[in-house]
Amino acid sequence: MAIFKRTSGLLINKFDEFLDNVEVGLLVFREGIKSYLHGDMEALNRHLRKIEALEENADKLQREIENDMIVHSILPKERVEVFRLLDRTDEIIDTTKHSLTEFTVEVPDIPESLKADFIRLTEASASAGDELIPAIRTYFTTPYLVRDKLIKVYFFENETDRLSTEIKTRIFQQMPELDLARKAHLRYILHHIEGISDKAQAVADLLTAMAIKVIM
Amino acid sequence: MTLLFITSGLFLGWSLGANDAANIFGSAVGSRMITFRKAAIIASIFVILGAVLQGSGTSDTLGKLGAVNAIGGSFTVALAAAITVYSMTKSSLPVSTTQAIVGAIIGWNIYTGNATDAKTLTQIVTTWISGPVLGGTFAILLYMLLKWYKKRAGIHMIRFESYIRNGLIIAGAFGAFSLGANNIANVMGVFVPAIDLPAIDLGFLTLGSGQQLFFLGGIAIALGIITYSKRVMETVGSGIFELSSEAALVVVLSQSLVLFLFSSVALANLLNGIGLPSLPLVPVSSSQVVIGSILGIGLYKGARNMNYRMLGGIALGWIATPIIAGLVSFFSLFFVENVFEIIVAIP
Repeated sequence: MAIFKRTSGLLINKFDEFLDNVEVGLLVFREGIKSYLHGDMEALNRHLRKIEALEENADKLQREIENDMIVHSILPKERVEVFRLLDRTDEIIDTTKHSLTEFTVEVPDIPESLKADFIRLTEASASAGDELIPAIRTYFTTPYLVRDKLIKVYFFENETDRLSTEIKTRIFQQMPELDLARKAHLRYILHHIEGISDKAQAVADLLTAMAIKVIM
Repeated sequence: MTLLFITSGLFLGWSLGANDAANIFGSAVGSRMITFRKAAIIASIFVILGAVLQGSGTSDTLGKLGAVNAIGGSFTVALAAAITVYSMTKSSLPVSTTQAIVGAIIGWNIYTGNATDAKTLTQIVTTWISGPVLGGTFAILLYMLLKWYKKRAGIHMIRFESYIRNGLIIAGAFGAFSLGANNIANVMGVFVPAIDLPAIDLGFLTLGSGQQLFFLGGIAIALGIITYSKRVMETVGSGIFELSSEAALVVVLSQSLVLFLFSSVALANLLNGIGLPSLPLVPVSSSQVVIGSILGIGLYKGARNMNYRMLGGIALGWIATPIIAGLVSFFSLFFVENVFEIIVAIP
């Protein structure tokens, strides 16, 4: 019977690796969208394969973390919420993968005049996810600083909403040359991109509640 | 025949193990930080070590309260205390083995006409108050220190929990040692003046009569831990105030410190040696010290979520236990002496 086990170090590494996967996934997503908008389908497919590998690894790590936490009875009181946090964070990388897949499958016809706006929207939405990752890391080390870290997540989520509304307004009110089917398709693609910041905001809300509980 | 007479003490030891081990490992096992198996093994080993190596100090104090000099008397006194502890536990009433044995000894004193040493009694009763107060004070200080360290160090939550888990094992071992050292007097103290066993030379250690009795008592406590403490451990910790893992560590540590302070002969000698007053070597109720410690943390956290009704019940048990044990002891001695014609006291 081992009295003092050394599972904590391994588990912390798995948490870090999981978050690294999500973080890198967001970078690859940005590059994937830019590649598509620049017409480089080969690069898009390369980025998609990369993001699929990251997502698969994140899923594997998530299962391992959950298994280790149950088997070794780690953080018994916070465990349910930590599982929820992992699950919702994993949804971010899932969304990035699905979005890039939509681009490869549906090949949306984005007007040249909107391409810069799509890049700005992608940047804002992915930035919300970017800012979330350090906040999650902070929860595990200095939970009383989580709220400060999350301010930028909320900022980029608002920014994404604003940009999305702006682009949709242009599509539906200022671009009569586009038929309704194309407009609807563009709106659908916009929803996919802004989905990342929505997921990041949902994780941020959960993280705020979790941090308060730990501090109390 | 001697073995037959000490069965009442062993029964009391079993009850103590079944109940009081939960004070040491209850929070850790209840919150699934440590498995019951691991807790039971550690507690059993260290409770026996504490009883054999450091159990004499508190036993001497109980001897001063009332030197039960006939083995029939020792048997009856221990039985009265055991019956009190067992029946109060069965009725879900908070009970202290220490108070039960003190009440039972006073019952013997009254029955046999021996005077109760007022100084020793005052010393013991004072610790019923000072023990929990000291436990609460230690708990507040240790909790503040731990919180300060946690905030400053910025350790990963999982690593910090691993430290707490290891801390619970180490503090639990220390707590079990202190419990054995401090509370063995409750179990075997009344037999020490009445039984004289030949010394056993183990080569590296010679076990005197008292230590052999303490060893047997320690085994009885260990059996109580292994056979009956699981349920108590799994339900403890949420009664008065729900404990976090770090609060659980603080409670175990402060309880262990208090029990150690009230039972360490070496510490008492050291303090006396440098001209400082030492604490009396008195058996303290581990349950009451735990309650004091939990209360301390509860007060520090702003006294929210405290179960005041349960605290009232505990305070009532504080007064009722020695009275009930004294009465049971008095009438049992009458019964044993007159019905079974067993000598309960040598004039």
